[in-house]
Amino acid sequence: MAIIATHSPMKTLLIPLLLITAGATDAHSQVAVIAHKAVQADTLTQAQLLDYFTGDIKSWSDKTPVVVLDLKGQGEIKDSFYKLLGLTSSRMKSIWLKKLLLGEGEAPEALKSEEEVVKKVASTPGAIGYVSRSKVNGDVKILRIVEKEKL
Amino acid sequence: MIRFKTAIFIAALVIYGSPAWSQTTDSNIKTFGYFQISFNHQKDIQTRNEVNSFQVQQLNLFLQKNLTSKWTAFVNFEFLNSYSSFRNWGAHSIEEAWVGYRGSNQFKLKLGLQVPTFNNLNEIKNRTPLLPYIIRPLVYESSFNEIIAIDEFVPARAFVQTYGFIPWGDTKIDHAFFIGNSPNINSDRRRGQTGTDTSDTFLFGGRLGLRLPNLKAGVSVTFDNQDFSDVADSLNYPRARFRRMPRIRLGGDFSFNAGRFSGEAEIIRVTYDDDHPVFNGDKEFFYGTLGYSISEKLFLYGSYWAAGEKFLPFGDRDFNVETAGISFALFDSLVLKAQYARAEISATQPDREELDLNYYALALSAVF
Repeated sequence: MAIIATHSPMKTLLIPLLLITAGATDAHSQVAVIAHKAVQADTLTQAQLLDYFTGDIKSWSDKTPVVVLDLKGQGEIKDSFYKLLGLTSSRMKSIWLKKLLLGEGEAPEALKSEEEVVKKVASTPGAIGYVSRSKVNGDVKILRIVEKEKL
Repeated sequence: MIRFKTAIFIAALVIYGSPAWSQTTDSNIKTFGYFQISFNHQKDIQTRNEVNSFQVQQLNLFLQKNLTSKWTAFVNFEFLNSYSSFRNWGAHSIEEAWVGYRGSNQFKLKLGLQVPTFNNLNEIKNRTPLLPYIIRPLVYESSFNEIIAIDEFVPARAFVQTYGFIPWGDTKIDHAFFIGNSPNINSDRRRGQTGTDTSDTFLFGGRLGLRLPNLKAGVSVTFDNQDFSDVADSLNYPRARFRRMPRIRLGGDFSFNAGRFSGEAEIIRVTYDDDHPVFNGDKEFFYGTLGYSISEKLFLYGSYWAAGEKFLPFGDRDFNVETAGISFALFDSLVLKAQYARAEISATQPDREELDLNYYALALSAVF
């Protein structure tokens, strides 16, 4: 704060630099729920996300099938997103195993990297996934942003 | 001949259902399944008799094909107790063979042989990878079939079922209604055991429930008629009031998840024609389980099961089981289980066995 408040020759350089740094930090500390651009929803509640990611609801309001994409393995982003849903990883696996063994559906495709998720969401109508906000580009739409610290 | 047919059948199942076949024919048949192998040691506290046994407790093979985006076909073959036709061990059966239609979340339909929705556990009682137990709560444990009339407590089969849920805020109202055969399939002595329902009555039933993300509760009911002509004969009583005795099963289920804790409980009450002058075949069952997830892989639980069977004027029996166990997921598709149970069976019927035993079991449950 002291630097910004002081009128010095460095001021015009430092302020944008600090803002960029702060913005970059925010994007890294946020999880973005992303969807294909044609998906007819602009935001989703936690309950709606839970319905889609547990396969309870399988189509969007315009009847396009929901294509859920997950991340492989364990990681900070996945843990944060599952916490948002109010589920542990083992509980999510159990829900999908039950659906599989009852003939009600298969677990979502799990991709190795966030970049793959962004790419697949952008190219698949009805797709929904989650990544760090810093990985999001203009090819997909953001439906929800969650601060990791608040999870 | 039976062995040869079984071998051909299994070979066809493996070849036609294998991924290799799927690739060469561009078919999308899914083949998957699970099995549970177990070792159990039981000791009768009074007689001190001991039993040790390894076995393939259960193996299920599934075939599924999505016929269109809304229709799917599903087949479930089940093999119990180290099945071997050569040695006359265990049993092999078609547990399910149905086509499903998904109209909407509110309306889904299953046509064909299926396990109906009744309480929480009936539909998944045989899906061993979903359950922490090695031996399941009394009326859901098929290997207890010789000591408890499990089919009288819960409906085993239905042939038409509609089900789905109605969203109500964050809550979902689950519904399921089904129709099946009466319980008299094997009662025609002239024809033997044909698998054909020899009566003109049906099984009707259903479940209504509420579901929140971490809580589920529901009530279930079935109506059907049981033929107890054999009982009438043994009592030298006219068959008329025994031939088509109304039976009502009532069930209630509750389950929850709260942080690392989870729990589930069920009650079942079976009643037969309460005004009958001689016969009383009412039954009751309860189980309650409290579990704790020590970690993502390790789950600990304790459970209590109780059942009572009346078979008056002959006598009645009571079952009480206290059990505890642990399950450890080595990885997603392989779970190691251990369970201890203390089981007591008391009977007022002189020719019925009373038991008081300690039961220890280890099992490995694999999904493939």
